Amino acid sequence: MTTTDSAIIHSTFTIERTYPQPPERVFAAFAQPAHKRRWYAEGDHEIQEFEMEFRVGGAERFRYRFKEGHPIAGSEIANASIYHDIATDKHIVMDSKMSLNGKPIVVMLLTLEFRPSGAGADLILTHQGAYIDWPQGPQMLDHGWKALIDRLEKYLASQA
Amino acid sequence: MSDSSRDRLNNCDRLFHALGDPTRRAILDRLVTGPASVSRLAEPLGITITAVAQHLQILEEAGLARTEKLGRVRTCRIEPTGFHALEQWIRDHRIDWERKLDRLGEFLAEDDASG
Repeated sequence: MTTTDSAIIHSTFTIERTYPQPPERVFAAFAQPAHKRRWYAEGDHEIQEFEMEFRVGGAERFRYRFKEGHPIAGSEIANASIYHDIATDKHIVMDSKMSLNGKPIVVMLLTLEFRPSGAGADLILTHQGAYIDWPQGPQMLDHGWKALIDRLEKYLASQA
Repeated sequence: MSDSSRDRLNNCDRLFHALGDPTRRAILDRLVTGPASVSRLAEPLGITITAVAQHLQILEEAGLARTEKLGRVRTCRIEPTGFHALEQWIRDHRIDWERKLDRLGEFLAEDDASG
């Protein structure tokens, strides 16, 4: 971590899942807009827009609004993505910018890999994110808040 | 994203602000070794008790510290809530995707049944 005036935090994670369906079926759930809308876009929110053009250079736009009863009801999340590389039934590389009420909060690079696993498929998702505009975030990380959390845990354990 | 994750996003704004100041981090560094009075916190930092109290208020609002007055002495201790929120926030995107991939599995299974 370098000390800068920007307030960006980087975080990477990987999720691996095995599905009983073969890679081409799992891939199709990402490639076909009607399929992806069902498992990806639908949820406990009001969809304002879900459009995707599944080709290299193609865009995906997904906007939704939180419903009444939600702590920030009326707030809008907008995801703007571009497909950068597609290898049918093998992988998808895309980037995505997530905004909250028009203000970007996370920019992410998303890699999806599909591999045969017996009769089914392994899906490997790698998410690399730059979390934007958290005041003093890098300075805080510089100081090593993770070490602080470790010490806190020890402290709490000693209290128990 | 879930309701609780949006809440955490708002809370984290306060958290990052609270942790962004070197004096407040020094206070937390001291507090993880055990509770202390405001005056004992002020001494090694070379700042006034009033200044420490202001920093403590920000730490309290972020859920990182707690103070209580016992007689004439105000005692401060570390508060785990804020630290947990911070870890949660970083894990947020992962949880969001875990849920989506669960739904993908359900979708594929339904597709099997109907096709």
